Amino acid sequence: MSEPSLRSLPSAPLLGAPRARPSQWEAAFAAHYVALCEYVLRFVGSAETAEDIVQDLFLHLWDTRGPRDVLRLTRRYLHVAARNRALKYLRHRRVADGWLERVNRDPTPRLETPEDVCLRRELDAAVQRAIAELPERCRATFLLRRREGLSYEAIAARRGVTLGTVKSQMWRAAVLLRSKLAAFIL
Amino acid sequence: MFTESDLLRFVEGDCSPAEAAAMQAWIAADPRRAAVLDELQAVWRLTGDATRRWDVAAARGRVRDARPGVAPRLHIVPDRARPAGPFSASPWLLRIAAAVILSLASALLWTRRSHLPPSREFATSPGQRAELSLPDGSRILLSVATRLRLPRDFGARQRSVELDGEAYFVVRHDPAHPFVVRTPYGTAEDLGTEFDVHAYGHEDGVQVVVAKGSVALRAPSAAGTSRLNLHARDRGVIDARGRATRTSGVRLDNFVAWTRGSLVFEDAPLPRVLAELARWYDLDVATADRSLDDERVTIAFSSASADDALSALARVLNVRFTRTGRAVRLLPVVHDRRRP
Repeated sequence: MSEPSLRSLPSAPLLGAPRARPSQWEAAFAAHYVALCEYVLRFVGSAETAEDIVQDLFLHLWDTRGPRDVLRLTRRYLHVAARNRALKYLRHRRVADGWLERVNRDPTPRLETPEDVCLRRELDAAVQRAIAELPERCRATFLLRRREGLSYEAIAARRGVTLGTVKSQMWRAAVLLRSKLAAFIL
Repeated sequence: MFTESDLLRFVEGDCSPAEAAAMQAWIAADPRRAAVLDELQAVWRLTGDATRRWDVAAARGRVRDARPGVAPRLHIVPDRARPAGPFSASPWLLRIAAAVILSLASALLWTRRSHLPPSREFATSPGQRAELSLPDGSRILLSVATRLRLPRDFGARQRSVELDGEAYFVVRHDPAHPFVVRTPYGTAEDLGTEFDVHAYGHEDGVQVVVAKGSVALRAPSAAGTSRLNLHARDRGVIDARGRATRTSGVRLDNFVAWTRGSLVFEDAPLPRVLAELARWYDLDVATADRSLDDERVTIAFSSASADDALSALARVLNVRFTRTGRAVRLLPVVHDRRRP
């Protein structure tokens, strides 16, 4: 069953002066949550951990909210803070030094410039071509995973193959795309 | 221990925390593995906007659950199966910007990746109304200062909701899944219909007014077996003692004008009028004079300003009022200034 959806009503004459706008905290959560999870996931490799770290960050920001929020709720600050939390988590788990160095080297993502946007359009065409050139079964599996967001189990059931086949098709697609797109991978 | 193809699980975030830690050590041990990981992460960035589906609504629920004070005016639109293509935070942001509503997904939200839908609670603050659209096509208009709870099993056998406050229901009738509104004093079951239920917890009793179709109104089983079958323009009331009464041919406007943003009272007891004004304008109203409690009032409000509404009421009652922030006091007129 699908979810109920709720919307606020346009303010009726009776409703009086407009209410306080949603807080910056709210807006920051909505705007950056996914990007921060994606960013932290690169370091921790577990979606569960990544979400915990980002949620803890937002809870901390909520608990200490105040006049400095204007600075603290920016994209850049949030990314730096999220990375610091990821590092703290990794140190706590005593991960290998080599891994910590890798995380330390990773620059915080910057916003796309107009050139990046142009470049990205070119890139998109190349990516579409590369995907289209994948062997058919491989491509079907890859698209079910990446476009439809299906689990490996669901893909296996949908395509009537084993879980192992889905995994090997995904790996094959990944390897082929890596070589086809090598020119764009720095 | 691992093979390169295991890196995909790391890229997509499917590792458990412990497995991720082991894999980090494995990757750090050989620069070639790190290079493969870099390339895979790059391929995933190029071929989609996100490496996986992040459930923002659930995350928001968890944070809110951990800090009940978080943004009481949040408006959560559940973030379901977004079409493939660029994920973008901005439509979400816009929805938030329109926000007035708190949607509390209660219990069990800290349970990781629970796939059962949680029970949901939707609430409006004083002065705020909201429209809730249900998956079955039914719509519910929530009036001010109202809470509506959908249990976990909503829609499984019956569509039952729990109401504290006032709401107007436009129900898509489905005999196989009866639509039931539960309140402490009675239960209204839809028989194909539009109706208003008024049941604020701190007031005694429940009132149901039917606009279209019919509704069965029942007292809770413990309080007896009284049942009223209500039809269009019927008003049914169950009071605190479980007594049920029906009035036929009521003026609908007096009961559902709020859905259009105005309030209409016809020969209504003053305490009821004041309670509504308090909810609509977020005020705390007190009367200095007990005798005012027996007054009955006929008045309509459609003003944006609380002061205008209070002035209109004061004129009708021939009293004056003082207001400091939310606190309002109705006082007797000191002396009559009217000219002869």
